[in-house]
Amino acid sequence: MLMPKKVKYRKQQRGRMCGKAWRGSELAFGDYGLKVVEPGWITDRQIEASRVAMTRFVKRGGKIWLRVFPDKPVTKKPAETRMGKGKGAPDHWVAVVRPGKILFEMEGVTPQDASEAMRLASHKLPLRTAFVKRESAAH
Amino acid sequence: MATATETSILEAQPRTAGNKNDARRVRQSGKVPGVLYGAGMQALSVSLDPRQISRILRSESGYNTIFDLTLDGGERTKAMIVDWQYEPIKGSLLHVDLKRIAMDQRLHVNVPIVLKGEAAGVKQQGGILEHVAREVEIECLPADIPAFIEADVSELVFGKVMRVADLPRSEKLKFLSDPNLPVAHIISVKEEVAPTPEAAAAEAAAPAEPEVIKKGKQEAEEEGAEPAPEKPEKAEKKEKK
Repeated sequence: MLMPKKVKYRKQQRGRMCGKAWRGSELAFGDYGLKVVEPGWITDRQIEASRVAMTRFVKRGGKIWLRVFPDKPVTKKPAETRMGKGKGAPDHWVAVVRPGKILFEMEGVTPQDASEAMRLASHKLPLRTAFVKRESAAH
Repeated sequence: MATATETSILEAQPRTAGNKNDARRVRQSGKVPGVLYGAGMQALSVSLDPRQISRILRSESGYNTIFDLTLDGGERTKAMIVDWQYEPIKGSLLHVDLKRIAMDQRLHVNVPIVLKGEAAGVKQQGGILEHVAREVEIECLPADIPAFIEADVSELVFGKVMRVADLPRSEKLKFLSDPNLPVAHIISVKEEVAPTPEAAAAEAAAPAEPEVIKKGKQEAEEEGAEPAPEKPEKAEKKEKK
């Protein structure tokens, strides 16, 4: 699973997710992308599941870029534990996304294949998404 | 290479420059706030029709189109779009920067690169064509701005990289981008293989938590005397209560 190699602090507070993704909201590498349209957390497992779904669909046909990285630790208390006694242990990692953020990009496939691959990937995510494609310079 | 000069007319209304609330009111009235500058004249805040701007941006010559700008139906000046912002979710136009153009002065513009043909590396070797640099910066006269620069990739194979230096040259254009900047190359992508039990075991054995970067102070304390135990004292205090 994706996670940082080094961190400054083991645990983080939850934080806020207001506003829009003004950065990372346009296609930078590929011709097609998956844009998230609501705020939320995407876990390392969900990112990996989406990546695997896309890669297996396009097989050797296309290149995929991940534009999000789970760098926020989420803690969890053990089961059947009384409240208190401090914050739980780090459990997994999430990426905080705001509406407009491009999650994945793809190149080297047909628009139909890209759309289908992104649809499969979106089914692994807890947020609503939209398929986006680059406007070509030569019309 | 088609040139980017078109004889379209863009109408603009001057507005009083204000804060973001004023800009929001302009957008609510169905216009797009913008600013006009260049040619040694003072900057002027304007409001524009978003449909006209979108038509220019989606035209054959794209964002390098040079058009006639009329301010309140008055005098016409040559201008072009130099910057624009989209809303991240709906994709509507938020703001446009326009620049007055002197047709006899050379200017710097970014021109899109369009790849032409099917690469041999894709057709025969089964690779994927990766388009790395999608724009190139050039210097030329406004009338000579090309709509796009075509690059023929039909002879591109594995291990060969098309660079800015390989793009078709013209006497009217001066390339400003780094000649070694890669434009396109052929890559191979490995097929996703289902993880073997050994690989799954290795992943499980990998450390669950990343390394925590220690502070400089803590390191200094570790080297010197041991820090006084604080937690046991606190526990004693709680017991007394």
